[in-house]
Amino acid sequence: MDYEFPDNLKYTKTHEWVRIEDKTATVGITDYAQHQLGDIVYIELPEKGANLERQKSAGEIESVKAVGELLIPLSGKIIEINSTLVDNPEVVNSSPYGSGWMLKLEYKNELEINDLLSVEDYKRIVEEEN
Amino acid sequence: MVDFAGFSMPVQYDSIIKEHEAVRSKAGVFDVSHMGEFLLEGEGVINFLQYVMINDLNLLEPSKGQYSCMCYDNGTVVDDLVYYEENPNRFRMIVNASNVEKDFQWLNEHIGSRNVKITNLSSVRSRLAFQGPKSDEYLQPLVDLDLNSISRFYFANGNLNKAPIFIARTGYTGERGFELSFDNVYAEKIWSNLIQTGASPAGLGARDSLRLEATYSLYGHEINDSITPVEAGLFWLVKPKEGIEYIGKKILIEQKTHGTERIIVGLNLLERGIIRENFKIFKENVEIGHVTSGGYSPTLKKTIGLGLIKKEYKEIGTKLEIQVRNKNLKGIVVSTPFFRNV
Repeated sequence: MDYEFPDNLKYTKTHEWVRIEDKTATVGITDYAQHQLGDIVYIELPEKGANLERQKSAGEIESVKAVGELLIPLSGKIIEINSTLVDNPEVVNSSPYGSGWMLKLEYKNELEINDLLSVEDYKRIVEEEN
Repeated sequence: MVDFAGFSMPVQYDSIIKEHEAVRSKAGVFDVSHMGEFLLEGEGVINFLQYVMINDLNLLEPSKGQYSCMCYDNGTVVDDLVYYEENPNRFRMIVNASNVEKDFQWLNEHIGSRNVKITNLSSVRSRLAFQGPKSDEYLQPLVDLDLNSISRFYFANGNLNKAPIFIARTGYTGERGFELSFDNVYAEKIWSNLIQTGASPAGLGARDSLRLEATYSLYGHEINDSITPVEAGLFWLVKPKEGIEYIGKKILIEQKTHGTERIIVGLNLLERGIIRENFKIFKENVEIGHVTSGGYSPTLKKTIGLGLIKKEYKEIGTKLEIQVRNKNLKGIVVSTPFFRNV
């Protein structure tokens, strides 16, 4: 199975991706994660403005066959959520890195970025899981 | 692929929703070879089945099949299954994958002095389900019998591209369609012949979402060795069979006449979310039951489920709460089936 993992993103071992732009981070789930879940039918995301610590659950992703959790990759404040996913959760399946992004946050601790995985490290984790 | 009763089975070939929609709009092919197949032969077969099954064999005739349950003395279910009468001395029986060994043993233990021989054909024959509104149109050119002559729940023996097949107009999807059984040597050829008709391969995931929409009980969920057919809403299977003794009869007739303390009901959510098996059901913070099956309905585009709850709350329109992990979501009792085209 070939999955797409863009080089310009950071990753977590729990299968989130992170795009860092200045002080904000955009977060979603990886192509591998959406494929493991299968057809996504319902997504619950946190409230805008919520302050969340790293590794805390920021939402639930329900597919036809399973439920997955979105874990916050960087501590910070939620500044935007992708509200189109409320009615069109399947976008995460078709475009996990594009219109299927889940939330944007203002991270508060730059050092945490060092703990995120490079694309090479993440690919190794996916290979090990298979 | 997942392990299912010892078989490596695809949950999905592509997407559960796409496979589900293919079966509702044209046709899908399911590999159901994991299910069990027995041949029952002998002069005592009908008398034997009248004793172990709750449905009435007097309603059956040659070339017809019947859905039934076999139950324990306390009315709970050994298995639900379909048997087909080839002639009064020869029946073909299809049972659940996870119950093959248990059923084979249970049946043999209850033959008594009757002239009945049971052969387990599960591993030497393969089984496919071909289901959907276009199943007749797609299948007819491949077979040497007139599909129109096979009514619902009837079957015939014929050939599919020269491969001998057993073909019944039965199914588990809520669509018209067929179930086929044949010797293992023809399996790959028949599978590819059926896929070439335009039908989509469909996996266990779609099989489950289709049967849930159609509200067909699944062993291990709505029925099992601690739930009776009456509790599961299959009271119509419990037949009086005057003058005939059968296992579980006393309690099942009693339950059918007077009702049960718990009953399976249909459920919808009034909030967004998905309910799944074993989630607890509450009414004003008092636990009243649990979800036996739940999920997303691709046809209705909403959450549906079945729950085993106390009878006081069974009326359609009753509001209740379903615990989804750390919170309670509002739900409502609704009528079933959720969706059927047959």
